[in-house]
This record gives sequence, C-alpha cells and structure tokens, in this order.
Amino acid sequence: MIRIVTLSPVEPEDMAFLTRTLFQAFGLGTEHAGDRSLPPEAEQEDGRYDAVVLLAEVDPIKTFADDKVLYLTGAELALQPGPLGEPPCYSFAQYGGERAVVSMAKLPTRGVSESSIEAYQRRLARESIHAVGHLWDLHHDYDAKCAMHPSWSPALPDRPEMDLCNFCREKSERKIRLAKT
Amino acid sequence: MRGPPGRHDQQPKEQFPAVEGIIADVEELKPGDRVVYPNQGVCCITGVEQKEIAGQTLELVRMEREEDGATVMVPKGKIPSIGLRKVATADQIEGVVHYLAASYDDPELDWKIRHRDNADRLIAGGVLGVAEVVKGLHSLSRIRPLPTKEREQYDNARHLLVHEVAVSLAIPPALAEDYIDYALMPPSGVTFKLKPPPKPVVLPTYPSYRPKRTGPAPGEEEDDLGLGDLGLGLGLGLELELDETGAAKPVVVLPVDGEAVEEQGEQQAESTSEDHPEPEPVEAASEDDEEDEEAEVVAAPPKKPAVKKAKPSPKKRASVKKAPVKKAPAKTAKKAPPAKKAKAPKGGKKK
Repeated sequence: MIRIVTLSPVEPEDMAFLTRTLFQAFGLGTEHAGDRSLPPEAEQEDGRYDAVVLLAEVDPIKTFADDKVLYLTGAELALQPGPLGEPPCYSFAQYGGERAVVSMAKLPTRGVSESSIEAYQRRLARESIHAVGHLWDLHHDYDAKCAMHPSWSPALPDRPEMDLCNFCREKSERKIRLAKT
Repeated sequence: MRGPPGRHDQQPKEQFPAVEGIIADVEELKPGDRVVYPNQGVCCITGVEQKEIAGQTLELVRMEREEDGATVMVPKGKIPSIGLRKVATADQIEGVVHYLAASYDDPELDWKIRHRDNADRLIAGGVLGVAEVVKGLHSLSRIRPLPTKEREQYDNARHLLVHEVAVSLAIPPALAEDYIDYALMPPSGVTFKLKPPPKPVVLPTYPSYRPKRTGPAPGEEEDDLGLGDLGLGLGLGLELELDETGAAKPVVVLPVDGEAVEEQGEQQAESTSEDHPEPEPVEAASEDDEEDEEAEVVAAPPKKPAVKKAKPSPKKRASVKKAPVKKAPAKTAKKAPPAKKAKAPKGGKKK
C-alpha cells in the first residue's frame, strides 16, 4: 500500500491523478492518508528543508508491513553537499525503506490552463513514481524516458514520461512480489 | 577506454595486481570490521567458527551482508584469494566521484571483451573498478541501449557502488546515488573543477591466442585418411584464382615434371609410386576411371588424382607451391574423373 501524506495543501484533482497514476505504476493500492506539518528541525538557515532530516523527523502515520509512505511538500528541499557540490533535490527517499518525500517547489507552475495543469500533474506523478521506485530498491536509470532517470538530467525532455521502463518495472514487480506480506 | 584482446578459454587467467586495501592476511580481520566482498557488497565480520564439512574441520570466517543480513562464510585459507578488501576511504570515494565526472573515451564496442573486463573489474578492481564499469556502461548506453545482460551488470555495479559510497561517507544510499549521478549526468550549465583522475585499474594483459596446429612431428609421416578415395577430397593443392569477371576458376597445382616430384622428397615419391605408378597425373587415373569416359563429359573441378598427389604434409605443400604452376588443360580436366563420378559408373556396371 502506498500512503500519501501531505505536508502542504494539494488540490484534490492533483491528488486523484496522483493516486491513480501510482496505482497504475506499481499495482499497489494508493490512498491519501492525511496531513502533517513540516518538522522545524529540518529547516535550514536559507529556508530550505534538509530532506534527510525531514524524513527522519516528520510525524509518522500508522502503517503496516511493506507500506510505503510518500510525503508531499511545497517547501524546497536541500541535500548535504557532496564531493562535487550539492545535487538538485526534487525528491528524496530512504532507499529500500519506508519513507519518501517529493518537493513541489521545483515543478512547473500549475497555472490555470488545462495544459499547464496537466503538465504539472504529470510531472508531480513522475517525481512521485521516482521516489516510490527508490523505496522499492530501484536505482536511477540511464533511459531518459524512464521515470527513474535523474530529474536534473539535461537529457530529460520538457514533458518527461511518467512510466517506468521495462527493466525497472520488472524489477519493482519482483521486489513487490517478494515483499508482499 | 579499450580493454585487452580476448582471452581464450584454454588460456590461464592472469592475476590482478593487488588493489589498495585488499586483505591478504586473515589475522587483520576482527569481529565488527566492515569489509567489501567482491560482487556481494559491504559485509560485517561477525566471527570465526569451526565447521565440519565433508569430513574436514574447517575454520570459517563468518560475515553478514549489511544490505540484507545474508550470511557469508569463507574458509580462512581462501580469504587472501577472494579479493576481500577494506571499505574505501573518503579520499578514495572523492577520487571516484571526480573520475565519474571526467570525460570518457569511446567505450569498448566488442561485447565479449567488455563483458569479461567488466566482470574482472567488479571482482578485483576495487571501488574504482566498480566505478569504471558504471561509467563505461553508462557511456555505452548513450550510444545504444544496453542488452539485458549488461543492463543487469550495470544495475549490479551501480548497486555495489552506491552502497560502498554510502558506507564510506556515512550517508543514506539515495544520497550517495545522487552524488554519483550528479557527477555522471551534471545538470546543464554546471561545470566541475576536477582533480586529476586516479590511476585506472590495471587489467591483465592477454596475449593473442593462436591455436596450434597438431600436425605430424618432424620426421613423421602424416597419415593419409583416405578421404580422397571416398570422394571427400580436402581440396588441398586446389587453389582458386579469380578470372577477369571475378568468378573463381579452379587451378590445380600439379607436380608435372620430375623435378617437382624430386623436390618434394622421398615421402612424396613413395606416395606417388604407391598410388599411381606413373608419374604423370593424367595417366595416373585409376583403371575404373578410364572406363567411365562417358560420365567424364561433365567437367568437375576437384580431380581425384590431382587431389591425391597434392595432399602432402605441410612441408611438402610448401614445396609443391614452389613448383611451376600449370593450369590443367581442359582436356586433362575432362579426362580426370570428378570425385563423385567415380562412384557413378559402379552403379552403372551393376545395371
């Protein structure tokens, strides 16, 4: 089961689109499990939230074995700088774990037109699939058409696909089959 | 980055030069140590225990894979040879990340060499070897999609690298993967100040394999298998020469004159005298063949006597080629019976 928790308000249509897409991508039931607030411990001086700390400190929700929890936030996320600097953060997940967070701050503006709303929803769904994919042990993919392709990659098209490639789909299905309680 | 030439199955596998941090002495290991088992990932030593296996009491080093808690047991004596190594240091990881961000040469395009080299790198190349596999296959994926096997190898290598980077830098694996991909696929407009890349993993050099011909020892006579008698001439002594139109026309190399036969040595002389007492190949046709002149109308390139005569040992063949080459005249070719025709008249006789 994938449980979506909102840390910022999300439009009901967007939520409906997201739950539907996640169900199609992983074949797992998806529901909106409630709202929580952002943990103040994760906030940095620049106003961004440390993604690792956020996931560690955010208020938990009731889950069962193999449940995955996806947090949605409008706040900008930050990562600890690495040897080459700080990578951009669209989402962050506990690899093979339970929790993931997606930031809506870097998504295209939602707008009011149908096309802009659709583009926003599709990108939100893509980032969510990407984050949940990490929860199911998926690594980044070199294929720009796959949802597991890094979100900052220059190869990513303007309107990226929100589907998994065959390899990632099969791998996630295998993991889900093995993990089903 | 191109690998060495392909290694034949029969060639012995060369040993890699020792990678930095490799554990050669079992005494270095203590319970609680974190080590990297090639192709398995980061493991934690849990102890040494004795077990009786097949009547032998073995001392086994027990370790637990950190990723899933799977237990790995290795005999103490095998530890130096399996490539067990210490977890890479933060400096090494920094070098690896800089290496990943550096530009890359053309990937190896021969999949056999690539697959073998990558497998070697994963086993004995250390953390840099794993990074080389990831980078090599990643750059190849830009040219064309990876085949299934290599896609899996890429995923395995990435998995190993991510976990080692995560353990080494004490960060979550997802963050480690972000570091790796930030280096591999930097966002547009981002440039890095890269340090000089670390020394690449040295792969063993494989000498090119030449299968040895198992011919007769000097002084020994090559056995005549008698294939010519069965109509299965090997075509030795038959050389194809292209004519002006590009079509192949058969040229039979025949030791026509006596000198050529002499040059071929006693062996050749013996064989010719046994099979065909007369030196001239045209007349050396067997008696059966002479009877079948009707069937010989159809010209067939492989002529039985020619094949027989020109089937010496390699040494002989060399001498035969030195001999003046004569194209078999059309008449002779007709007279010389084709290999298959030799059997036809027998049936005809029965009739």
